[in-house]
Amino acid sequence: MIWRLLRSAAFARAILIYLALFGGAGAWAPWTQAEGGPAPAWASTLWLDHPFSSPWFLAGVAALFASTFACTWGRRARIAGLRRGVLPPGAVTLAGDEGPLRRFLAAQGFRGDGAVLHRFGTALWAGWVLHVGLLVLIAGVFAQQALYDQGTFILTEGELKQLAQPDAILMRERGRLGPVDPPDLAVALEAFDPTRKQPGYAPDRLSELRVFKADGAVVADTLDRAHGIEVDGVEIYQGIRSGLSVVLDVRGMGPRAVVLQERHHREAAAEVLDLRGRPVRFVVTTERDLHDVSGTGRTLIRLEHGSQELLLSPEAPFDFGGTQAKVTGLRRWGSFSYARSPGMPAVHLGFVLILAGCALLVLPAGVAVIESAGGRTEARVQLQRGRDLLEADWQASTTEPG
Amino acid sequence: MQSTLFWAAVTAYAVATALGIAGFAFSRERWLAAGRWVGLGGLLPHAGAIALRWVEVGHGPYNTRYEVLSAQAFLLVAAFGVIALVSRHLRSLGAFVMPMAFLLMGFGVATFDTRREVPIIFKSWWLILHIGFAKLFGVTVALAAICAGAYLWKRRRPGSLQRLPDPPRLDLYAHQFLLSAFLFLGVMVAAGALWANQSWGRYWGWDPIETTSLVTWIAFGVILHFRVLHRWEGARMAWLTLLAFAFALVTLYVVAVMVPTIHNSYMVGP
Ligand code: HEM
Repeated sequence: MIWRLLRSAAFARAILIYLALFGGAGAWAPWTQAEGGPAPAWASTLWLDHPFSSPWFLAGVAALFASTFACTWGRRARIAGLRRGVLPPGAVTLAGDEGPLRRFLAAQGFRGDGAVLHRFGTALWAGWVLHVGLLVLIAGVFAQQALYDQGTFILTEGELKQLAQPDAILMRERGRLGPVDPPDLAVALEAFDPTRKQPGYAPDRLSELRVFKADGAVVADTLDRAHGIEVDGVEIYQGIRSGLSVVLDVRGMGPRAVVLQERHHREAAAEVLDLRGRPVRFVVTTERDLHDVSGTGRTLIRLEHGSQELLLSPEAPFDFGGTQAKVTGLRRWGSFSYARSPGMPAVHLGFVLILAGCALLVLPAGVAVIESAGGRTEARVQLQRGRDLLEADWQASTTEPG
Repeated sequence: MQSTLFWAAVTAYAVATALGIAGFAFSRERWLAAGRWVGLGGLLPHAGAIALRWVEVGHGPYNTRYEVLSAQAFLLVAAFGVIALVSRHLRSLGAFVMPMAFLLMGFGVATFDTRREVPIIFKSWWLILHIGFAKLFGVTVALAAICAGAYLWKRRRPGSLQRLPDPPRLDLYAHQFLLSAFLFLGVMVAAGALWANQSWGRYWGWDPIETTSLVTWIAFGVILHFRVLHRWEGARMAWLTLLAFAFALVTLYVVAVMVPTIHNSYMVGP
């Protein structure tokens, strides 16, 4: 009963229309758009704040998978039979003499000289390949969602960060079965230019990275937002956000980068705890815009603690919670992300099958079976489309003078 | 020079449109043929205008509304030229193609003076596939809609436009073009996802335009199912093909103009 429902064209149509309507509404819902603001309360109550990970959508996709599976089951044997000349009842019958019939069919693109002729025989598999591709794609996306792992991190020029160390990753998302720990890699930002002009393109970020693998091997590469770099199944991408960091040398602890956030176009600041655990604030003001392509110009660095304020000069020692520290420089930071996507090969295979199926669909496949009995010859022809036209063309060709 | 060539092409398409409409209204095959030749002649100055802009800005026609729509119009007319060469049956469809080309040029002209540098993420081979197939999708879905429109016209006035194919053949051509559009849209979506992953590390972000393309692909699937599983054909199918065209317009142009998305740049302009 359920199997029959799943196999029915009406159920498939209902599911597809449901998903199309849901997707359409999701695309136009203001809170799913760039800068669209938060979802309204009613949407959150109905689990629609993230429509495409809501149970409503996932149930629709699961139903689509079940329906496509049921419809595809058993079709392989039928198509193989069709290729051998086992035609369904709806096939067209053309009657006439064998010679003209064969010539007519050859002119229509049918090839072969036995009893079974084919036109784009491989394309008979089009629908099957397309639907199997859909199944592989949906399964691949679910596998990917279960296994993926991604996170973002910030690096200041000259800094080296172990991705697995606590607090290195700012925002991490992973599937239920994704790896527990971030990748065992260390990444160093050798150089960073947030406004590098590459010929032919608008200025954008460009980084020089060194990635240290667990076994000590090093991969050095440049990175921009056009494509990531891959190291041991982990892809690293350039993010958009960037800013200034104050680099400190704290006695006995080595260098430390304080990442500043933009407060307005000529000021950036960060609140941190000093070595006594007191909140202090580093504030940098710049002569020009923080993102000015020609640089920030002259800068002033202040350290604020309550109402006290101290102007910091490069290399001049100051008290950082009982320990001496000095500012060694003002550098740029850039944002990066990493991604591990073990489900993607299945997704790629799904894409390939779907597109191969679609490409085959464009070819007008057909099978013709020539049968002679009692001095009469008939061609029974099964076409993906244009059956009536074939019949009409045959009639026209038999009535044409000459 | 660039604008002279552009306006020469616009004029050619406008004259071709007028001749096509008059040819249809008065059933004059000669006027239709003249319209076809004038329209196809417009391809020459049009190619010149596109090439000059390409050299001037240093990138292909994909970054402002003018560049995108002008290239789309060019490809539509060029595809029609090829089809007219291959199939005598389909030559009279020029009367439907030229007004579309003229409208596309008209919609694009307001941003003729806008020039933008392309963002760095355009440095990708996937971009070429994504944009190339988006344009092919636009062309084939327009041709499907034109065949469906011609089908509806011929069915109402069987005696008109003798040179146009019979309605059943137009129905078959519409189906064939719709299947091609389904393939091209599929490649566009897949290449877009792979491109997004290459530059951002994510394949799919449910951005409004990504979602709309997927919805359109599913809608095409539903429409094709009606034909195959429910054996719909003729007028009902012609209307569904026009609906598919409406979906395509929303995906290619309306969302990018009306909804804030990561894809706005390709339709920028006043
Ligand atoms: C996103 C989901 C789907 C899409 C995009 C899709 C698309 C298509 C397309 C484009 C065709 C070929 C139409 C033609 O030849 O003109 C087709 C055929 C067909 N579809 Fe689907 N389909 C989907 C899901 C399903 C489901 C759930 C069923 C279950 C009933 C189904 C059953 C069939 C059958 C039986 C055929 C005809 C036979 C064949 O060509 O193999 N499809 N589909």
